[in-house]
Amino acid sequence: MESPAETVALAGNPNAGKTTLFNALCGTAEKVGNYSGVTVSIKRGTFYTPHGRQLEIIDLPGCLSLEGGSPDQVIAGEALRGISRKAPDLVVCVIDASNLERHLQLVLEVLELEIPTVIALNMVDVAEKSGIRLDPIKLSEELNVPVVPIQANRGKGIVELKMAMRHPLPPASPGFRWQVGNEESRRAFAFATADLVARRPSRHTTNLSDRLDSLFLHPVWGWFAFVGIMFTLFWCIFSFAEIPMGWIESGQDWLASTIENHMPPGDLRGLITKGVVGGVGAVVTFLPQILMLFFFIGLMESSGYMARAAFLMDGVMAKAGLSGKSFLPLLSSYACAIPGIMATRMIDSPKERLVTIFVAPWMSCSARLPVYLLLVPMLMGGREGGTAQALVFMSIYAVGTGTAFIVARFLRGRLGPDKIRNHFLLELPPYRMPQWSYIFRHVFDRGWAFLRKAGTIILSIMILLWAATTYPRLDTDDPGAAMDYSLAGRAGHFIEPVTKPLGFDGKTGTAILTSFAAREVFVGSMAQLFHVEAAQGEEEQATRGHIRERLAMEKWPDGRPKFSTAAVVSLLIFYIYALQCLPTSIIVAKESGSWKWSVGQFFFMTSFAALASFLVYQGLSLIGFAS
Amino acid sequence: MAQNTVYPSSAERLQSLAEAQVGIDFQIRKIEGPACEQLRRLGFCESLYVRKLATGRNLICSVCGTRLALSRILADQVKVAAA
Repeated sequence: MESPAETVALAGNPNAGKTTLFNALCGTAEKVGNYSGVTVSIKRGTFYTPHGRQLEIIDLPGCLSLEGGSPDQVIAGEALRGISRKAPDLVVCVIDASNLERHLQLVLEVLELEIPTVIALNMVDVAEKSGIRLDPIKLSEELNVPVVPIQANRGKGIVELKMAMRHPLPPASPGFRWQVGNEESRRAFAFATADLVARRPSRHTTNLSDRLDSLFLHPVWGWFAFVGIMFTLFWCIFSFAEIPMGWIESGQDWLASTIENHMPPGDLRGLITKGVVGGVGAVVTFLPQILMLFFFIGLMESSGYMARAAFLMDGVMAKAGLSGKSFLPLLSSYACAIPGIMATRMIDSPKERLVTIFVAPWMSCSARLPVYLLLVPMLMGGREGGTAQALVFMSIYAVGTGTAFIVARFLRGRLGPDKIRNHFLLELPPYRMPQWSYIFRHVFDRGWAFLRKAGTIILSIMILLWAATTYPRLDTDDPGAAMDYSLAGRAGHFIEPVTKPLGFDGKTGTAILTSFAAREVFVGSMAQLFHVEAAQGEEEQATRGHIRERLAMEKWPDGRPKFSTAAVVSLLIFYIYALQCLPTSIIVAKESGSWKWSVGQFFFMTSFAALASFLVYQGLSLIGFAS
Repeated sequence: MAQNTVYPSSAERLQSLAEAQVGIDFQIRKIEGPACEQLRRLGFCESLYVRKLATGRNLICSVCGTRLALSRILADQVKVAAA
């Protein structure tokens, strides 16, 4: 029987490049970024040494020491000590070649565990560019372990590193030249070794990062740059995605007409053209915008700008009772709340972490994009693109973020101060060229995940909704009467008294209910629910423009438009605030350690959304925006 | 070697990093206060050179080629002298 694969653990300080090395070794595309705290949980993979031996590799969250720290750092410490799992057979210590003084301190702690160790001296190019003269051979002699210079982001030195991990694994370093367990002694040895093997220029020299920081961290220009970057992001999402969206819609039209030409009329054709192509297609149309959002967030993470944004926001976050460190998970939540909530593990203060988890779902995630993109142009006469819409779009994100800060302030006050006071301390990594291959792979993976969701959850709901809008069937030519008679029509009438004060008719209420499974479903549900009534036998596909036209024609019995400015703003407000994502609730329960937080968050956010919609609709109606 | 407090000469004036002037190189002479272990782990150690790059609610400095942003409360615990 073949022996189980030996385990190699990647350990090191935050932002040393562990996950980049993990991806280079395993050929995976795990999330990387140019800031501390990207990896907050253990990741696993396998790879083969040049001698054909399979090794299991675990990527640990970055830690400054094996003693204590934030939850992610505790995970790393316990994994290396063999507390939470079997201790690794080999540790690869990934260290930043331009910061040996600090990174070597953790290496010495790892060596004290007496586990075979190899040092991956990463980012040697950056160190040499900044004038540091490295001597990896001397470092190997001083520590008595193999040292391999690498550039993980370019795949340089990976083969040599794999060679160093050949079987039998390098023995644990015998004898230590510092006092084991004594932090002072360890630090002194680390400094002396760094001084010997990495000679740095005696004086600080101004580099590109300094020059960029003089703009991005400037108390005035820094804010202009921040707002400018955010505006560009939203403007691009609105303007550049038009072309690929047109292609998807054309493909959708072609597919529906082909099916109609080749299938006899009947329920099955209705299900495929209206339920599948119309319903799911209406959601898939927004794929280009979702990809663009992930691309821009990937750019910010990869370039080093994220840490600058956290620095700028620290003052604002302090007013909400949080710190700049909370801004990093919150900014990640703009893409998806789940990794954002997991990223709160990098926050040292337990109470600050809990509050950040609670408000993170109010950062508008990518699943809300299709809803916003459908509704925002309705406030501008149905036209898409342009500066005004980008500003409205940005305001939507600002409303969610602003409310999150206010609620965080309130909650933070209720929870009281931490036992140990934590202060803002953040590494500002040097700016780096984005890792394009990783960004595009990540964007592709997210796009594929979105399509998978469209092909599973969204498709299932669309089929169920089609059945609910079709059965029980009424023998009539009037699609409105048929809709009223159907299950969905009856459900709409049933819930209309509840949704009407918020500005929504029964069908919109039904669409909202369906979107509690996944927010994106709202667009497809609206396409199905309103298409049935307004089609008049016309076999037109539910493109976003057509959905808007249909909605604009809808009237209340007294002749007022159903989708007035007040109603559309009220709908937007509901989607900004409502928590309609089951996986988020599960992650919140796991990370907060209590279902009470998760259930409380769901009811609080949904009630808040309904109340805010009610107040906005009634307020706008009073000043004449409902007609 | 860097672990011990570097005692200033009688003519030398110690000041906290929070008070120090921007754009000048300093040497860390003493770290004292409740967060000194946290600061040491991040690279603030006696005898190392530090340059203050920006000031404000939080300040930015460069230690051993690493740029760090830290609150004024933490910076108050780092005592420096002109290099």
